[in-house]
Amino acid sequence: MAQVIYDHVTKRFDGVIAVNDLTLEVKDGEFLVLVGPSGCGKTTALRCLAGLEEVTSGDIIIGDRVVTHIPPKDRDIAMVFQNYALYPHMTVYENMAFGLKLRKMPKQEIDRRVKEVAEMLGIQDLLNRKPRQLSGGQRQRVALGRAIVREPQVFLMDEPLSNLDAKLRVQTRGELIKLQRRLGVTTIYVTHDQVEAMTMGHRIAVMNQGVLQQLDTPENLYDHPANLFVATFIGSPAMNIFPARVVAGDGTVRLVAGDVTLEAPAEQRGRLAEYANREVLVGIRPEDLIVQPGQVSEDRQLRLPVEIVEPLGSETLVHLRGPAGALIAKADPHLHFSPGELASVRVKIEHMHAFDPQTELALF
Amino acid sequence: MTGKVIEEARPRPGVATRPMAARSRYRLVERLIPILMITPSIIAIAVFVYGFIGWTTVVSVSRWQGIVPDLSFAGFRNYAALLTSYRFQSDIRNTIVFTVFFLIGSLSIGLLLAVLLDSKVRGESFFRTVYLFPMALSFVVTGTVWQWLFTPGAPGQPTGLNLLFEQIGLPVFQTWSTVSHVWPGGGWKPEWLRVPFGVPLAMIPVIIAAIWQMSGFTMAMYLAGLRAIPDELREAARVDGASEWQVFRWITFPLLQPVTLSAVIVLGHISLKIFDLIMTQTGGGPGFATDVPGIFMYETTFKSNKYAEGAAVAIVMLLMVSVLIVPYLIWRLRTETER
Repeated sequence: MAQVIYDHVTKRFDGVIAVNDLTLEVKDGEFLVLVGPSGCGKTTALRCLAGLEEVTSGDIIIGDRVVTHIPPKDRDIAMVFQNYALYPHMTVYENMAFGLKLRKMPKQEIDRRVKEVAEMLGIQDLLNRKPRQLSGGQRQRVALGRAIVREPQVFLMDEPLSNLDAKLRVQTRGELIKLQRRLGVTTIYVTHDQVEAMTMGHRIAVMNQGVLQQLDTPENLYDHPANLFVATFIGSPAMNIFPARVVAGDGTVRLVAGDVTLEAPAEQRGRLAEYANREVLVGIRPEDLIVQPGQVSEDRQLRLPVEIVEPLGSETLVHLRGPAGALIAKADPHLHFSPGELASVRVKIEHMHAFDPQTELALF
Repeated sequence: MTGKVIEEARPRPGVATRPMAARSRYRLVERLIPILMITPSIIAIAVFVYGFIGWTTVVSVSRWQGIVPDLSFAGFRNYAALLTSYRFQSDIRNTIVFTVFFLIGSLSIGLLLAVLLDSKVRGESFFRTVYLFPMALSFVVTGTVWQWLFTPGAPGQPTGLNLLFEQIGLPVFQTWSTVSHVWPGGGWKPEWLRVPFGVPLAMIPVIIAAIWQMSGFTMAMYLAGLRAIPDELREAARVDGASEWQVFRWITFPLLQPVTLSAVIVLGHISLKIFDLIMTQTGGGPGFATDVPGIFMYETTFKSNKYAEGAAVAIVMLLMVSVLIVPYLIWRLRTETER
């Protein structure tokens, strides 16, 4: 068990910068999720830590050891690959024992550890099978077992659940969380799935185009995104974003977008005053738009036409014609909306976000 | 089943007048066409392969010597004569020696070249073509060229490779291709065996020529095999704690096993039937030091007109190749049905 530090790590492939000046500290025993769209450099960052890619500049520290130029075999890490990478010519037992055998561990100790881990994962009956005789879920467990049995300082996981079907993925996700909490091994987990990121990580590092965007707890990431990218990447459906003009006067600050006018939250007036008569990007999460069909109540600020209705069962997504493109709102599934009709909308102003249009950094 | 019933219960207009007859005729034709398509090749193979194997077997147990066929049954006399003859015993020994060294040489050099090329060498396709090129040549050309290279030259005036050996201080190799010495030779041997155990020194240049020609092909096979192994497996092994050598020893090499098997089959059947290379390079000499069953069969049959004896050699060669190929075919069939 150990902490992991990326110290200004840059990785360049033939002129393309895959990871750009990444500085990141993972605490001992922490479950850190690296998340981002494909090509954002998250897998490259993980492979640099594993030693499968040589970093262009910067240092990587595991525990209290600088491992930047140490080959993978001496880094004391274990990795679970997306396609599991089980050795097809070896049985499950041999797959799990391989790393221990290379370390010249006594046979009885190998046997004890393999059986113990196999039992923990419920694969003790599969030990004599070859990988091709296993189902996807079973292979995934073996890959996990091969990592656990090594008792490494750090677990690296590269989208280990992405090849499982939806139901199994949810189940395994839960088991993986429990397992990590129980073993307490520092884990770095790469995924492009934000649900996995939100549910599994103690902290989440969001990456885009090789650059770390934000490193925070799931709650903070969701409630206080640092910039426009994080705001729109985390959350499904994505946060609604539209440009609005800041109009100050009469002791209030209003945000005007087309014929929609929103009063800015009181505590943010000072921050917004700097942008008086300029545009900012307003962000509102779908659940912060309270919609009701028809023109009913008095405290609704807006009346917007309904464009599309997507009933999901647990909730209904209502696409409204907003000031600039569609606004998506999450509505009670028992309410009935019809395309073309007007809906009344109340904005939870206190949960509103605003971003600088140039820097795309969050104002609040 | 039910679908079929419904279909027949509701005949389409037009077909309705004679549905059963038309359908069964159509089915018959559909079944007949594939059979008709493969019939010519089946007949050709039956006659020209299996028919001729049968004919050769018949000849091999006959008394046919000379121009006029004599198919009277002679029992296994021809085989007995073969097995006790000095030349045929030499041939078998030479074939074993040639096959073993040719296989070991081609496989190890081919694997080495493939591993080197697979390590992301610059200009890989150029080297691949260079290594593969000897395979484009006929064994006759290879034999002739290597004969020139190994020609000892006049005493005191070495030529070709021997000149090279002399200049680097190894004149001992000059006699390779001219003596019929068998190394180590001597020692104990069963009474029925008339030839000494060991490696005929003159065989070495032939083996070198054959390896030169076929190791590029083996390399191509191994290279394809290496490319088929996902990088992830090697990476997983590295993370598991394997050094590069251990990755090769425990992951890459075992996964190349099917390639090795195919290469052994391809190279093995070439070496067991080798004729043209040796015929042009050494003609089987000196003495019978590089003679092989292929040359023996050719000379017995078409130079000495001993058809029955030649046919017996052919059958023995067929059996040798079968020992190699049949288990392979059975294994292939079994793994194919498994899939």
